[in-house]
Amino acid sequence: MRALSRITARWPLGALSGALVLAASVTASAQENRADVVADEQRQKAGTLTPWTPGRVESMVIKLKQDLIDSPSGVYPTFDSVYSGGGFTLGAGYRQYYTPTTFWNVKGMYSFKGYNLIEGSTTSQGWLGGRLDWTAYGGRRDATEVEYYGLGNDTAGGDVPTFRMTQLYIGASTEYRPVRWLRATGDAAYESYEDEPEDLTSFAPGASANPDFLHLRGGLAYDSRRSPGYTRTGGMYGATLHAYIDQDDGTHSFERLDLDAVQHIPIGRETWAISLRGRVQTTLGDDDVPYFLMPSVGGGHSLRGYSSFRWREPHTLLTSAEWRWFPNLEGIDMALFADAGKVAPELDGLDFKDMHTDYGIGFRMHGLLSTPLRVDFARGSEGWHLNFAGSAAF
Amino acid sequence: MKPAVIVLFCLCFSVASAARNDAPKFYDDDPLIVEPITQDASGAVEREIDLFFDLLMNTFALDRTPVDVVRAQNVNTIDEVPDSGWFTNRVLKRAITPDELTMGPARAGDGPAEGPWVIVAAKSAGAAPGFTVRDAEGETWFIQFDSPGYGEAATGAVVVANRLFHAIGYWQVDQYISVLRPERLTIGETARMRRPSGEKTRMTKDDLAAIFANADRRQDGSYRIVAARAVPGRTLGGFAYSGTRSDDPNDIVPHEHRRELRALKVFGAWANLVDLKAGNTLDTVITENGRSHIRHYLQDVGSGFGIGANGPHRWDEGFEYLYEGDKVWKRAVSFGFYRQPWQSADYYEFDSIGRFESDVFDPRTWKSRVPMAAELHARDDDAFWAARRVMAFTDEMIRAIVHTGQYSDAAAEAHLAKTLIGRKQKILQAYLPAINPITDPALTGGTLTFGNAAVEAGVATAPRGYSARWFRFDNRSRASSSIGETTADAARIAAPGGLPSAAGTFIKVDVSAIDPPHESWKRPVSMYFRQTDGGWKLVGLERMP
Repeated sequence: MRALSRITARWPLGALSGALVLAASVTASAQENRADVVADEQRQKAGTLTPWTPGRVESMVIKLKQDLIDSPSGVYPTFDSVYSGGGFTLGAGYRQYYTPTTFWNVKGMYSFKGYNLIEGSTTSQGWLGGRLDWTAYGGRRDATEVEYYGLGNDTAGGDVPTFRMTQLYIGASTEYRPVRWLRATGDAAYESYEDEPEDLTSFAPGASANPDFLHLRGGLAYDSRRSPGYTRTGGMYGATLHAYIDQDDGTHSFERLDLDAVQHIPIGRETWAISLRGRVQTTLGDDDVPYFLMPSVGGGHSLRGYSSFRWREPHTLLTSAEWRWFPNLEGIDMALFADAGKVAPELDGLDFKDMHTDYGIGFRMHGLLSTPLRVDFARGSEGWHLNFAGSAAF
Repeated sequence: MKPAVIVLFCLCFSVASAARNDAPKFYDDDPLIVEPITQDASGAVEREIDLFFDLLMNTFALDRTPVDVVRAQNVNTIDEVPDSGWFTNRVLKRAITPDELTMGPARAGDGPAEGPWVIVAAKSAGAAPGFTVRDAEGETWFIQFDSPGYGEAATGAVVVANRLFHAIGYWQVDQYISVLRPERLTIGETARMRRPSGEKTRMTKDDLAAIFANADRRQDGSYRIVAARAVPGRTLGGFAYSGTRSDDPNDIVPHEHRRELRALKVFGAWANLVDLKAGNTLDTVITENGRSHIRHYLQDVGSGFGIGANGPHRWDEGFEYLYEGDKVWKRAVSFGFYRQPWQSADYYEFDSIGRFESDVFDPRTWKSRVPMAAELHARDDDAFWAARRVMAFTDEMIRAIVHTGQYSDAAAEAHLAKTLIGRKQKILQAYLPAINPITDPALTGGTLTFGNAAVEAGVATAPRGYSARWFRFDNRSRASSSIGETTADAARIAAPGGLPSAAGTFIKVDVSAIDPPHESWKRPVSMYFRQTDGGWKLVGLERMP
């Protein structure tokens, strides 16, 4: 049984108190039995009892956790995207619950390219036994210098003119999960667009039309992923129908169907995973789609070796494949990836000819359900692109 | 430093040193078999160890190769762990009846009462679905389910591990496998659920439905559960695996230096108990004989074998910590081709058992999910102590304990038992021969007898013989003087002539192996005997002082 107390105080006071403790302890050891020696140590400790209090570092960590995780009401940082191509973005938000499951939220973000967004929303979670969430939202987005290469699958690269697009929006959305693997989504929003296309040199349908839309969206997906934010297994197969209804004279109304397929295939006990993605966006009928809402490929969530919105047409095809490995299963992913995509003026132009391709390597930090940091370094036929994102590639 | 302080320090040190020399090595009551609890601990207050901070510190701040590894400080003079609020010697110390083995801390036929159950609280921690109920007789129970698709897994693991760790000696919660029919449940007014806002509001039927949606539902609509009886006393939260409780006067040994906590490196490896965090422990204040003291439970040992509350363990669990910097970069630059044993281990996966194997298992390299201070301080003598207890479980005992998991698949049950037996053998091979394995010495009629745990376990061959060096020992001055040396080719050595015979005299015997299969056996085990009216009594044993 231990006879002496551990001496941990600072020198020289520590040495002094240590010697005193030593003397006191040894005095105790003059007892005639072991139990008395132990009792003496316990008696000494009884005179110095203190309630547990966390240290400074512990207090700080606990406070941070309480502010950012445990108590979701309050100010929080955000690194979300304002609009594709805006560059690295910083922002802050304030969230306040006003019922146990419903909160309002305001956030503002500003990117290195000057893109900015301010948005207010209210979100309610956990209806119908935790199966339904809804959100009502409104805001203003300002994308100050969106590159426009014109329409077509063979537009020239290099320096291109930009346009500014602002969007005012107000709407409501809902997500319903009747069973674990089925997700139904719906959204209705009023969206008002203004563009500044003065610098554009290519044909841009709907330029300066400044349309107002009622944007309806409905989607259905089989989703066996652990989370859309991060997974190594499972898949998602979904379809989403968009209806943009021009609120002026109907000139710019259009409908678009998005078909998405994602599959993650773990290999060798999740030593690696192959992740595959296919996406088709197709504008229905002969509708006149404004150039800034035209389906496109290019950017950090699409063809990663090219600029955002590099190619635009009413119909797009995108495929991606990643060979992922996991330096740390709980937090760090890496990936070799390749993307291929094209756009076409007609749906039957979406074949696998004349695809634009890229390849690259990625580093991701993730949690159980999300990917707070993704850095993808990709090379396409126009050079290297470094993509930062706060979400999974697909 | 001021001269006066130096003088005072020297004075104190001199007094201390002089007094120290008067302290005997052995007291009359050595070896203690029960750890004294002399002070009232009723003032101890609840302490919530923050799991996030605990995880951060253990993952990134804990020294994974501590250099100040010292002998366990709660062992008695014969290198054993006295019974205490932490541990009660059971297996190895005495025969355990089949009933005691399979019931563990539970009482025969004494599970939750039939009839309506009222939910009185939601589950406040942990990933597994569950809640707290009060049964028809007013007893409080914590209910835990299997996760969907893994019927019998979590509940079976909880009960099997509960019986295993109880037989070893740890304080365990009283737990039973039972069946829950939802129609028996009502939601009590006190039941509260934590909402996304952080607020707690009354539990609703939707909440209950959500809990059931995350539980494995059987074909007849019922749920297999584990019901854990509320522990007696006032709960204080978990205990830390390092330091002491500042509000417990009886807690004087830093937890990382408690042998039974260090030994979790071995027992944890055996059962693959990967989730050795403070959050799975529980301190309670109980009052016995008019004095309050703290009892320390290994409250949740259900993360063992191959499965946790939410399904099978990750492939690397038991093989790697949550974060190991060197492996991160090696995998990063090798595109994942830096291979580890878990990637080729041959698992026989049963949904009710998970990923649990014994072929690739190496007890010395086994790791809990997150480094734990006590296991990092474990030395070979701590591991030897633990391995002897593992050895004391016969194959029949292991099969009997596994049977308490009530697995409907006989093959799964057999696999679990077989794997435990296989891992036991690996543990014995790793730790019994690693140090001089002499055990249970006795000096009777002029003959010293002892055992050899490694030889008895069949994991080492016997040495050519043993050598004993005999000394008179002065218990006050701690000086020893040689009497002679004797040898034998078996674990039975005659004492030399001239042993003292007066009551109260001490002798010391250093026993080492001759031509042993392991070099470490040449290091002698020191045994101390005191002459009593009944003969020589073992009062000291030093394997690794």
